[in-house]
Amino acid sequence: MTEMFSTLFGSNEAQGPPGSSLGFGPGKPPPPMPQNQVAMAGQIPQQLGDEGPALRKPGAMNEPFYLLRELPGTVGNELTGNTNLITHYNLEHAYNKFCGKKVKEKLSNFLPELPGMIDCPGTQDGSSLRSLIDKPPVCGNSFSPLTGALLTGFRLHTGPLPEQYRLMHIQPPKKKSKHKHKHHRPQDPLPQETPSDSDPKKKKKKRDDDPDRKKKKKDKKKKKNRHSPDHPGLAGSQPNSNSLR
Amino acid sequence: MAEKFDNLEEHLEKFIENIRQLGIIVSDFQPSSQAGLNQKLNFMISGLQDIEKCRQQLHEINVPLEVFEYIDQGRNPQLYTKECLERALARNEQVKGKIDTLTKFKSLLVSELSKVFPEEMAKYKAIHGEDAPS
Repeated sequence: MTEMFSTLFGSNEAQGPPGSSLGFGPGKPPPPMPQNQVAMAGQIPQQLGDEGPALRKPGAMNEPFYLLRELPGTVGNELTGNTNLITHYNLEHAYNKFCGKKVKEKLSNFLPELPGMIDCPGTQDGSSLRSLIDKPPVCGNSFSPLTGALLTGFRLHTGPLPEQYRLMHIQPPKKKSKHKHKHHRPQDPLPQETPSDSDPKKKKKKRDDDPDRKKKKKDKKKKKNRHSPDHPGLAGSQPNSNSLR
Repeated sequence: MAEKFDNLEEHLEKFIENIRQLGIIVSDFQPSSQAGLNQKLNFMISGLQDIEKCRQQLHEINVPLEVFEYIDQGRNPQLYTKECLERALARNEQVKGKIDTLTKFKSLLVSELSKVFPEEMAKYKAIHGEDAPS
């Protein structure tokens, strides 16, 4: 191994001017080597083009070495994995906030005041964000308020919704937490609200009377079903029936 | 920057609340509720107009697509941030380990080569001695 090392350096010195061994820039062909050095040349990687740190300037000071590159980390202050990047980018606070404490799994913990079943996958009810990206909605048209003629299309039947459509008000049971948050919702004047609306104060009271509430609900459902227009037993028995105009 | 988000958040909360109240009216509709229903429908349209106005302020905001996947699965999007930070730190530590190992290897190699090729290594240290990293 020592013989190959020194003969290699010896052959380079014999070939040309001292700087020629380091004049190995892009586009310049390598100097011709003796035949006994061809096998060695095959093992040495050719440094062509811009790969890694810059080559040192050719000169007698770099002999007997050639293709000597600048050591990484010595040229300027490069940002490497050696430094703590979290500290470098001032992310300690964010790291402690997200990784120091336990982050809750469900979406409803991130958006506690959002109504509806948001913890279910969006693909089940067609409300996924991915579908919004795949099929973007029509944009560009302006929003104009509904006129009187258009509002006639929104005259509805009286009475409660059928069971299959009553999904909006169902919210997952909120766990009792030590820190009680007071929900301040805007108190707009509502025309009529059913007893089963989602007012938080009413909800808290209702949770206490669960078994009684269930019985009362069943009774109410029975009564409503008797008086609903869809009930088969009451066809033509109701004197006043409001239809969709 | 935070004001733009607060503005949008406020409009969205009002819009959602309006829709929720609309749902309550519709769930058990009475003839006297018609005026309220019409009002809520027009509030919904004005809410959409307000949200569209917010759009121009936020056109340069980019959201990673992976966050959408978390939301579609019903998961907290803060978990994405947490996992990003954990992965970044783990990768940082991995690369630092490699750098430290290679630095130790270099110093060992230089010391062993100095024993075998003292003259050549003396020249090498003379060239690199000034800028050799510790």
